[in-house]
Amino acid sequence: MISYDFEYCRPTSIEKAVHCYQAFNKQQKKPVYYSGGTEITTLGRLNKIRAGAVIDLKGISECHVLQFQDNQLVMGSAISFSKLKEANLFPLLSQTISEVADHTARSSITLGGNVCGNIFYREAVLPLLLTDSQVKIAGTAGTKQISIHEVFNKQVQLQEGEFLVQFLTDQSYLQLPFMSMKKRKHGAIGYPLVTVAAILKKSEIRVAFSGLADFPFRDQKIENILNQKKLSAEDRIEQVLKNVPVNVLDDVEGSAEYRLFVLKNTLYDVLVALEGVENV
Amino acid sequence: MSIGQSILRKEAQEKVTGRAKYTDDFHSSAMLHANMISSDYAHAQIKSIDISEAQKAPGVRAVLTGQSSPLTGEEIHDRPIIAFDKVRYHGEPVAVIVADTPILAKRAADLVKITYEPLTVVNTPKDALLPNAPLIHENLESYQRIQHVYPEPNTNIADRTKIRKGIMEKGWAESPITIEANFSFSPSDHAAIETRCVTAEIRPDGYILISSASQSPFQIKKLISSYFKIENGKVIVNTPLVGGGYGGKVPVQLELIAYIASNAVGGRPVKLLNSREEDLISSPVHIGLDATVKLGCTKDGLLKAAELLYLFDSGAYSDKGATISRAAAVSCTGPYHIENIWCDSLCVYTNHPYATAYRGFSHSELLFAFERTMDMLAEKLNMDPLELRAKNAIRPGDTTPTQFFLNSSTVGSVPQCIQKLKQNMNWSEGQRIVKSDRIIRAKGISCIWKTSTIDTHASSGVALTFNPDGSINLISGLVEIGTGTKTVLAQILAEKMKMDVNQIHVQMEVDTQTSPEHWKTVASRGTLLAGRAVLKAADDVIGQLKTIAARILICSPDDLEIENSRVYIKEERATYLDFKDIAYGYQYTNGNAIGGQIIGRGSYTQRNLTHIDHETGFGKPGPEWAVGAQGVEIEFDTRDYTYKILTAYSVMDIGKVLNYKAALGQVMGAMSMGLGFASRESFVFDDQGIVQNPQLRTYITPHYGEHPKYVVDFVQTPFIDGPYGARGIGEHGLIGMPAALGNALSIASGVQLHQLPLVPELIWRTKEKAGGTL
Repeated sequence: MISYDFEYCRPTSIEKAVHCYQAFNKQQKKPVYYSGGTEITTLGRLNKIRAGAVIDLKGISECHVLQFQDNQLVMGSAISFSKLKEANLFPLLSQTISEVADHTARSSITLGGNVCGNIFYREAVLPLLLTDSQVKIAGTAGTKQISIHEVFNKQVQLQEGEFLVQFLTDQSYLQLPFMSMKKRKHGAIGYPLVTVAAILKKSEIRVAFSGLADFPFRDQKIENILNQKKLSAEDRIEQVLKNVPVNVLDDVEGSAEYRLFVLKNTLYDVLVALEGVENV
Repeated sequence: MSIGQSILRKEAQEKVTGRAKYTDDFHSSAMLHANMISSDYAHAQIKSIDISEAQKAPGVRAVLTGQSSPLTGEEIHDRPIIAFDKVRYHGEPVAVIVADTPILAKRAADLVKITYEPLTVVNTPKDALLPNAPLIHENLESYQRIQHVYPEPNTNIADRTKIRKGIMEKGWAESPITIEANFSFSPSDHAAIETRCVTAEIRPDGYILISSASQSPFQIKKLISSYFKIENGKVIVNTPLVGGGYGGKVPVQLELIAYIASNAVGGRPVKLLNSREEDLISSPVHIGLDATVKLGCTKDGLLKAAELLYLFDSGAYSDKGATISRAAAVSCTGPYHIENIWCDSLCVYTNHPYATAYRGFSHSELLFAFERTMDMLAEKLNMDPLELRAKNAIRPGDTTPTQFFLNSSTVGSVPQCIQKLKQNMNWSEGQRIVKSDRIIRAKGISCIWKTSTIDTHASSGVALTFNPDGSINLISGLVEIGTGTKTVLAQILAEKMKMDVNQIHVQMEVDTQTSPEHWKTVASRGTLLAGRAVLKAADDVIGQLKTIAARILICSPDDLEIENSRVYIKEERATYLDFKDIAYGYQYTNGNAIGGQIIGRGSYTQRNLTHIDHETGFGKPGPEWAVGAQGVEIEFDTRDYTYKILTAYSVMDIGKVLNYKAALGQVMGAMSMGLGFASRESFVFDDQGIVQNPQLRTYITPHYGEHPKYVVDFVQTPFIDGPYGARGIGEHGLIGMPAALGNALSIASGVQLHQLPLVPELIWRTKEKAGGTL
């Protein structure tokens, strides 16, 4: 039950959506874009999100595209996790998102919504960061396409009135060896202690994390350490643990020390999966 | 014949089609809605509550704040209906808005401004007992209370139950082998699917109508009548189907708030529905425990002494906590014969959400401590843990901790349960099997027992009426909380009447004005109390049917028998009368009529139960003991300390199995709940007593698809007093799960685990402390 009043609109085009936003903004309604609505409803009932107007992006056809165009996989921001998983065009992404929330929630949660989420795990962004994906953004000045790295730093950095329309990933990335692991406090449901996603491109490991800090990230220094193949796996992991570039979370899911213990094991699994270090 | 058959539960179609109605599904246009404002502090003085803005908000009819009286509570009247003067737990209701719609009520709730002055928080039962601990109830001495509860003024002890059996010095002298260990866990919750909900209305003629998702509608009636000085008969409580009780819907809390809310708005109906967060922490929770167990035995493992200190974390109020800590004393050892027992079981106040009944009622909690210690003792003795248990198993002729002599009816067979468990678990292959350099397969076990220490005069009544077609309506005050008990009652009646169970119609909802009283739907007592009442009512009906049939058939009632909805002359089956022709009286062809409606009545009260002696615990507080042996088989990762539960086992001696699949369902459901409690479900408190996970996002219960394989088996030692020899079964599957899982993980990891929940981080931390890092 959301106790505050808010306006609702469901535009059928990008232009109309931007227009909606401007109109609501002029009325000082503090509008927000949304697609799945899982955070609007669950945080709204606790007054943790208070929006005077919500703009439902599910009516925009561009936000539902899921196909290959010009050697790129184009994924609309309003596509649900269930649908993405079912299509399975991006196996790493399928794997990562299949561990988010539960079955019921995944039929509502969307790619764009998760990347823009208030709940800070935003695990869907990990594969996009690893594959240097592009993002199509709509705003008052029309649409633009930029690198995910330009728009995502801890969280999505959008200008007033902008929203994510699509994600574009080079087809060449989709078949690379990958690994995605989610480690929880216990069992198969819940937020991560650590979620690690990794790919192997031209014998170089790329790796991104969620749950370690209160934002997801990919870190060049960590990747450099992991790719120092002259060192043993154990030495590399030890180096990484000494160079974790964030304040490690210490909360109800697990202590900071324990998260590092879990990270150590998970990194080892990444090296085994992508380099076969066990056989070296 | 109906007994033993897996009869489909009578309300199954309603439930599987989603048409079944629960308390919140009933609406009326006159209904107003309440919204609670709850405390952000665990212990604080309420300095001021500013309700002026809320009162002015649209649609608001009343704003309620706490009053000094009446104080309420099951055994000790220590709890204001809404917090007064100070708050004692995070989530405690502090003010209540009544408004035209739920949304308007919630909006107004956001406008109430409360200022607090924080007080020092008591965060564990151990801290509560420190000499300088802040007092949570300064006026403990002045509170009204029942006769058999013993609060200790100027302390945080709400009750202390003592067990003094045998001579401890003798026990220790005969015990060359001893072991001592401490165990603890925080409060957790029931997390039923249906959050608690209640509506209250005061009619112009003074009648009070309550509808509540409750396990104890008759208790609501009694307490509202007593707290507010209202005639018993003017309080009418209705309970439709209940979407999961687990003990959490035994206490009377929201009903009192809804009643005073209705009173504040001129008696209009007011609905109060818990949000999930409120249901988790504002309403009563599952108790926590700190337990110290010391055992002594001979060199060959014969138990000689047990010294037990149980500190139950009852939270801010004693409510059921006192009753729970007393039940723990009665069963303090587990199902073993021990000559010398010393136990102090305390109900301790802390600044945690307050506790109420939880499926198993102290037994899974104390047995986690006791059965973990039994495993540690077996290890010290270098003895098979099941052998140790079989050797000490309590048997007919032995005495319980309250010195009650058991016979072959009052206790089930522990040795038979152990024997079957051994077979089912393939025990001979060993408890710890190395599967690879990382993976260990391990088995852990626990024996269980439980008696039900409910009120010694608790009773149940049943009424039977006939329909013109000769079918029977069964009316009982037992609440259908999802256990299928009302279907089992129909089976008992069908068996006794030798008729088709489909010819028995069960009234599912309870109305305290029209249903005979069933004390409370708790403690696995439904089948015993209501079942015996059904048998009595059936006898009554049979007598009446025979009496009228005898007149028509011109014979003695002694010459008659009943079967298939007919009364017939013994050995002359061609001479009979159908129920339909006599249940409403009999009409001759000339128009003369004799007899009248047949209405059956029956009731049952447990016999020969006593209070326990305050100094020694001596007495017979419960009628019989159901026993069992349980186990889990896990796969443990020695690198990550993660694990998977492969199979969970139960062998339960539940006496006669009345409905096989219903019994399986009860045991498996309880096992699932027990594994959730054991492995994951627990409130996390910060140092200020604030619950860090009052949402299902972070308070994770077992999910569909996560379940292990369940292997459930029964032993059937009849309980003479039980209907057709049945024992209780609603709770028992849960009881051994925490200890069995703790034992399996301790064996797998090689370190002794002393806390719940058994998450991998706990194992990692214990390993680290033991210096056993990789």
